[in-house]
Amino acid sequence: MRKRSKVLVVDDSALMRKLIPKILEQDESIEVVGTAMDGYFGLKKIEELQPHVVTLDLEMPGLNGIDTLKEIMRRWQLPVIVVSSHSTNGAAVTLKALSLGAFDFVAKPHDVAGRMSEIGDELIAKIRAAAQSKTPHVQFLPDIAPNQLAGKQDPSAPTRIVAIGVSTGGPNALQYLFSQLPAEFAGSILVVQHMPDGFTDLFARRLDETCSIRVKEAQSGDLLTAGRVLICPGNRHMKVKRLPLGNIAVLNDEAPVNGHRPSVDVLFRSVAEEFGSQSIGLLMTGMGEDGASGLGAIRAAGGFTMAQTQESCVVFGMPKAAIERGYAMRVVSLQDLPNALAAQCTPGGRDSEGRKSAGAGGN
Amino acid sequence: MTNPPDDRMSELRNLFFESAAELVQRLNDQALQLEKSPGDGEVIRAMRRTVHTLKGDSAACSFRELSELAHEFEDVLSLEHTAAAESVPEIALRAADVFAALLAAYREHKKLPATAVLREEIAHLAHTASAPVQKRGKSKVVAARWSEYEQLAITRAVEDGRKLYHLVVQLDPHCAMPIAARQMLRTTLASLGEVLAAFPPDGHTGPMARVEFAVASGAPPAQIRSRCEIPTISAQVKVQRMRAVKISPEVAAAAQAAGPAPSDANEPAGPAESDASSSAAAANLSIGTAADNILRVDAERIDNVLNLVGELILAKSMLQQTLLEFSARFPKDALRGKFSDAMAFQARVLGDLQRSVMKIRMVPVDHLFRRFPRVVRDVGRQCGKDVRLVLKGESTDLDKGILDAIAEPLTHLVRNAIGHGIETTEERQRLKKNPQGTIQLNAYHQGNQVVIEVSDDGHGIDVDRVRDRALGQGIVTSDEAARMTEAETLNLIFRPGFSTAAEITELSGRGVGLDVVRSVLDRLKGSVQTETEPGRGTTFRLRLPLTLAIIKALLFQVERRLYAIPLNAVAEITRTSEEQIHQVEHFDVLQLRNEVLPLLRLGARSAPGSGSRDKIFVLVIKNGERKFGLVVQGLAGEEELVIKAIDDRQIETDLISGASILGDGRVVLILNLAALVDRFTSQRAGVSMNSTAGLLSGISAAHARGAAGDRA
Repeated sequence: MRKRSKVLVVDDSALMRKLIPKILEQDESIEVVGTAMDGYFGLKKIEELQPHVVTLDLEMPGLNGIDTLKEIMRRWQLPVIVVSSHSTNGAAVTLKALSLGAFDFVAKPHDVAGRMSEIGDELIAKIRAAAQSKTPHVQFLPDIAPNQLAGKQDPSAPTRIVAIGVSTGGPNALQYLFSQLPAEFAGSILVVQHMPDGFTDLFARRLDETCSIRVKEAQSGDLLTAGRVLICPGNRHMKVKRLPLGNIAVLNDEAPVNGHRPSVDVLFRSVAEEFGSQSIGLLMTGMGEDGASGLGAIRAAGGFTMAQTQESCVVFGMPKAAIERGYAMRVVSLQDLPNALAAQCTPGGRDSEGRKSAGAGGN
Repeated sequence: MTNPPDDRMSELRNLFFESAAELVQRLNDQALQLEKSPGDGEVIRAMRRTVHTLKGDSAACSFRELSELAHEFEDVLSLEHTAAAESVPEIALRAADVFAALLAAYREHKKLPATAVLREEIAHLAHTASAPVQKRGKSKVVAARWSEYEQLAITRAVEDGRKLYHLVVQLDPHCAMPIAARQMLRTTLASLGEVLAAFPPDGHTGPMARVEFAVASGAPPAQIRSRCEIPTISAQVKVQRMRAVKISPEVAAAAQAAGPAPSDANEPAGPAESDASSSAAAANLSIGTAADNILRVDAERIDNVLNLVGELILAKSMLQQTLLEFSARFPKDALRGKFSDAMAFQARVLGDLQRSVMKIRMVPVDHLFRRFPRVVRDVGRQCGKDVRLVLKGESTDLDKGILDAIAEPLTHLVRNAIGHGIETTEERQRLKKNPQGTIQLNAYHQGNQVVIEVSDDGHGIDVDRVRDRALGQGIVTSDEAARMTEAETLNLIFRPGFSTAAEITELSGRGVGLDVVRSVLDRLKGSVQTETEPGRGTTFRLRLPLTLAIIKALLFQVERRLYAIPLNAVAEITRTSEEQIHQVEHFDVLQLRNEVLPLLRLGARSAPGSGSRDKIFVLVIKNGERKFGLVVQGLAGEEELVIKAIDDRQIETDLISGASILGDGRVVLILNLAALVDRFTSQRAGVSMNSTAGLLSGISAAHARGAAGDRA
């Protein structure tokens, strides 16, 4: 039995300082060693108590969450789980925290009380994952070389439909991946990133600003065009549909699958069904195994499947599940993913199976 | 994982209410601060954090209305231009009020108060402030009414030269099933042509007041309209010819891919940059350093400890009693010295313990004073008076129970001072006073009392007017009034039913007089004293005991029964005999040095002649301006008494305020000084009293036993 993971809770709300430890202590592998009411105390207590994982509220007086996070990253590189909230600012700050190296975040929905156990489970799972991440999870990515930001390409029919499933560690990994794809990327990308409602829109807009390819939070009826990324909004599922005039994304509010909404499996199965051999499935860093069976469906339908390597994952959960079941045709590091994807989607390019990729666009 | 069990939840709720009250107070403070320095970014950020925490906490406790409201407010505070709006302090104050009202309703499980006004104000602020953003062209792209695919379909239809119509159908507000209604309209339209687009989109399940369609049809518009006018479903139908549609670049390109496309596609604006925290200022490390070591403890637990300390003090008295008996029996025993040393040591530690525990219950009076800036501001505005508030001695400690109890009377006094004490700005100018009035709250320790003063620099109280009004309202008779000293007359304002203002204002009166002040102070064994100087202002001086739990008391006997009175009320003790007591106009008086001291008899007078030479004692009681003597039959020493509350059902007289048990098990009744003073006043004012029976003669032994018998 491994030692219990020591957790420090940093939150300016007295209530949360009581509630979070109560929730966490229901899990026997977690021990809350202390709480702190602001960043300044947080840092002092990290030094004193040497926790394995820190939960961090971003809105605090004194030393605020972002500055605290920077300091934690600089001095200890501890995994930090941001406990975030829904507000105009909440999403922006949370995304910033992720870009600064926070391990993951848990969003408090409006009806926290009603979904307390759900959020508790999520927090516990993320803390356990964070505690087990052996390598320093801060990824020193190669410098992002802005890819001819000037002039986004005109959309046209994509060569392939790329479905990406990603969870913990996703924001940074996607940021890297998309920044490296050229504006003339020939495929159309659909992303299910496990992220709550309210965060995905901002996330998509930030990616759009920093990447050459066009990124947008998906709306029902959005066209799947070349050089475009559609990110599934939080709390909805995304499927795809072939229609006479073009191919579109369709959102729905069906029940969560694998405990997730959006669920990677829902997207992957739909892509496999509609686009078969024209589809590419990519399963990236994340906890759990959402998307593993969907990747199998894409492979079975004749599509091409990839999973991210363990070394480049923040959490090697979802890709591992797919690899173990033999659903991943290639295992690629994050650094090599942009090239691998571009190669797969290049018109006339060949995939590793030697099939000629056919246009996936409309009729 | 399961939800925490109920008791945990209730513990959290208690914690929530406590911290939420603190947060609301903080919001009040910050709003006032912002009012003074409008647009101060630091204050706004602090305010946002306060609201943010309140939002999160209330959501965690399932208080949805509160968390949603806080959420809306927080969003307004998050945006630079809305947060800087002039109306923010005002809205923040209203928010603080509404939040407080919601909290009270949650706590007492009552119906929630209306929040619509606040909601509207917040919405209004959010709305008015969105305008400048759009000017900068940085606002969020308005969601396309038609989806990309629909835009594409419409574009294609236009290109193909088909006749297109845009239908807007207002649904009947009484329509029970809008989703079915929408489907029905769609089916109707499908029979007339091709439905290219629908809004809200398929699968939409939320509320909808109207639906829109884009239809390609060869049917005449009038026919389309009439077919859509379905009773109980559609209230109004508009049909318009469509010749083009705004399309996004994606659609333009997709359309181009298959043929010529309209080139007037408008570029969506870039997304708004809304990262407010990236430029977070350097952290201020000194803020809040003291607070982390604070432990929140349920007041009940402290009371339990205090109770046990009380019992210990009792045990100490018992031991002391035993030691006395032991010494009497074995005056030569060597153990006696050791015993008495140990006792002395124990007494010292016990004293320290008691003081420490008392300190736990003490909170700085600042907790109470903090609410007054808001009160003064609001009341000042209501009355159209410019008033500034000066706070002094905020760090003075006071028992939490007393603090809570005097909140209302103090508020009352402050409102009263602004409403009736301070003159209007014009009048002050005319009187060559500072046009801004001043209210001062001051707290300090004096002996084992705490004094809280409320002073204003207004026009003072007109003593003659008070007298006239008291006469007019039948509160005193002219005879009584003539006898009263100035101070006593002033104190009439605390009598029930007294009001000097011509009309009862909602503001300071609320139909309740200052008698509230008096009754609360009586209950707390405190007193109020008024000082006024015409043209210069008035000071109300509240004297309060440091604590309610333990008093130093003087014990005495009346009719062989043991009573106690707070020691600090006793100015001096004098020994005399019945012969020295004289009667003046039916009142007993005693010549004490150069003064004639009116007397109040607690027990029956000794039968004349039989023992008139017996020594009796007179306790000289000083209560504010009044001085009088209590005639008692014997003194029994001085003790620290742990007050046990007594049940109202067991003792009828208001003369007894509590009871205590001595070390030897004897019960002692504690006199209510305020009631005594009342008796004294009415006796002097001529109310007929049976002066031979004594005030306490009626209290039977049974009552007394019942009162203090339960010591568990």
